[in-house]
Amino acid sequence: MPYKSQAVAKYYFVAAIALFVGQILFGLVMGLQYVMGDFLFPEIPFNVARMVHTNLLIVWLLFGFMGASYYLVPEEAETELYSPMLALGLFWIFLIAGALTILGYLLVPYATLAEITMNDLLPTMGREFLEQPTITKIGIVIVALGFLFNIGMTVLKGKKTVVSLVLLMGLTGLAVFFLFSFYNPTNLVLDKYFWWWVVHLWVEGVWELILGAILAFVLIKVTGVDREIIEKWLYIIIAMTLITGIIGTGHHYYWIGTPDYWSWWGSIFSALEPIPFFLMVVYAFTMVYKRRREHPNKAATLWALGTAVMAFLGAGVWGFLHTLAPVNYYTHGTQLTAAHGHMAFYGAYVMIVLTMISYAMPIIRGRAAANSERSQLWEMWSFWLMTVSMVFITLFLTAAGVLQTWLQRYTDAPLDFMTTQSKIEIFYWLREGAGAVFLIGLIVYIASFFVGSKDEERTVS
Amino acid sequence: MLKKNIHLPGDLAIWIFIFAELLVFAIFFIVYAVAKNQHPELFLLSQKSLDKTSGTLNTITLITSSYFVALSVLAMQENKVKQSVRWLLAAIVCGIGFLVIKSIEYQHIFSQGIGLDSNLFYMFYLSLTAFHFMHVVMGLIILSAVTVKAYNGGYNSQSMVGIETGASYWHMVDLVWIILFPLVYILP
Amino acid sequence: MSEVFTKIMARNIFYGGSLFFFLLFLGLTFDTVQSSHKRDHRENITEKVALGKKVWEDNNCIGCHTLLGEGAYFAPELGNVYKRFGNSTAAIMAFIKTRPKEGIPGRRSMPQFNLSDEELEAVAEFLKWTSEIDTNNWPPNIKG
Repeated sequence: MPYKSQAVAKYYFVAAIALFVGQILFGLVMGLQYVMGDFLFPEIPFNVARMVHTNLLIVWLLFGFMGASYYLVPEEAETELYSPMLALGLFWIFLIAGALTILGYLLVPYATLAEITMNDLLPTMGREFLEQPTITKIGIVIVALGFLFNIGMTVLKGKKTVVSLVLLMGLTGLAVFFLFSFYNPTNLVLDKYFWWWVVHLWVEGVWELILGAILAFVLIKVTGVDREIIEKWLYIIIAMTLITGIIGTGHHYYWIGTPDYWSWWGSIFSALEPIPFFLMVVYAFTMVYKRRREHPNKAATLWALGTAVMAFLGAGVWGFLHTLAPVNYYTHGTQLTAAHGHMAFYGAYVMIVLTMISYAMPIIRGRAAANSERSQLWEMWSFWLMTVSMVFITLFLTAAGVLQTWLQRYTDAPLDFMTTQSKIEIFYWLREGAGAVFLIGLIVYIASFFVGSKDEERTVS
Repeated sequence: MLKKNIHLPGDLAIWIFIFAELLVFAIFFIVYAVAKNQHPELFLLSQKSLDKTSGTLNTITLITSSYFVALSVLAMQENKVKQSVRWLLAAIVCGIGFLVIKSIEYQHIFSQGIGLDSNLFYMFYLSLTAFHFMHVVMGLIILSAVTVKAYNGGYNSQSMVGIETGASYWHMVDLVWIILFPLVYILP
Repeated sequence: MSEVFTKIMARNIFYGGSLFFFLLFLGLTFDTVQSSHKRDHRENITEKVALGKKVWEDNNCIGCHTLLGEGAYFAPELGNVYKRFGNSTAAIMAFIKTRPKEGIPGRRSMPQFNLSDEELEAVAEFLKWTSEIDTNNWPPNIKG
């Protein structure tokens, strides 16, 4: 590890993985509730489990992004972190605030949580993914500002590379667009319109800058390809991302009471959204193919390639499936959306964080470059277990979604929602099975940190 | 191998960009044609209300502007920097003229209370022309940057990449209009 | 190839393209905000409807249901529930009020939220208002 202060990333990575486990456990609870409706009712109703599942995902990805930044920026800027103390302080604040919020979801009814956190003063709660109490949201802003300050100062005092600039732009965008979560007009149409400024402009906008920067960093390290070439690719990919993705927001504005023209603008631009993901696949494989060195960390390379492929499939292909307005008319708000959401989040964001952890953790833990052969073997097994089971989760949900669309929306004698649900139950059982395999994969992943940790480091002969 | 020495004017990146832009416009035009096919009467009726004089005038302005840019590149090839800058300025004036004429046309349309959601035709008319309008603005920014650099002696017959890049982009903006104008204003 | 296609050019495309499309997005947003009153019949947002939205949010209804297709996919779409329940706010109120506390064995059940009569009426009015938004004919049929 070239800079001592990079070690602060370890806290963030450990917390991220711990919360990841929680996310998956609650995912399995929800999966079971889909087929056994009274499971854990009324103690943990579905809406609570879902809130915990999605919020844990967001929080652990944020931990992952922050950890990645604390590791990446000092190395890029070639200087110690501006303030490791601040990074550590913010870590505990964020972790405690996050834990309290999750406990709040689980221990008291949501309405009570809204009351005791004085939501009425500035009502922002009760909207999908933005369920956090207003004070938690304010906390997130404070943590984000402190974090940006720390990272920004580090970049300022050191070398300003394209990778860290793009990362900084992504992180700044993340903070800026989050501010729209405080805007909650009584007019539902406008509420939904600007709600997407957080959600879409995050995941199909600025988060992709963060993804691109982290991927570029890891590729530079593991392939040894000239930085100039990788940075050029990075610019082209994020340019295509924003060129297609910003107007692509329009694919959320078809049916929520916004003007007609969005179905045209949204369809055309969001249909182009797979392009940057396709470029990312070409780029990742080209760079690895043209590698100038054999890096002993095979697992990190595998994660990096996996990220590109799975992001393309999940965000690109599965997004395209239902992005055109005439198709979306029938599929909007069905299990098809869930299928896309699962693979896109896993492929793009879960995997990029795991890529970074895979690259950085061995070095933080005192290895020269990589874990032992045995440890890497376990990690790569976990890669395949999690990735393949996620593919199956997506396929089963897609089958459920297509059937649901047909039965409930498309036939001449449409069935009502609950009848449709009972007809597609088999796919929910299969999905739960795939989810259980995912959990096994996650356990293997965690085990890979302990297995073979005393063995000799893997080297390339 | 025969065409090995063929010269691609400007930077390759701008050509990738131009192709991407043309792709988007092409999709827009196809979608327009499909929509028009579905509502022929509506499109014909609304099309009649468009100001064809303004459209024609703008076509002439833009073609002239493109011609000036081409002259400027030719002048630069002969190292006539001052002349080249003058042609560039003339092209920019024409471009601004396009924006003025278009703005008057828009004002006329908006004063009738027509907006993006008036009907499908106006949606396309306004979207396509406004999208193109923004490209003209973008083109003018690029041309201005090129002009400033040319004025400061940044180009000569040996170093033409920048000026050719700007010219290529400007021709693309012109080309799109030449398709857009008959498609939206004229074709029955 | 790489000598003509420089990093600077890629950078300029990134900055120029992003700015260009963000401005376009702002323009379209401006038009949307200006013209959406034609579709959202905002003049009908009474105090009751506003309270209903608050009740909707305070009880995290979006955690199970979709509203205009957005939310969770565990329970029925509610954007058109007012119409599905025979254009009746009373039916909506009665449904919410009668949910069993302990659920229904083996089946999905909506929790009992213990809403006051005022809150019940407000959330029903909110769903009525929502069902009257012009959504380009979505959902495709009454089943949601």
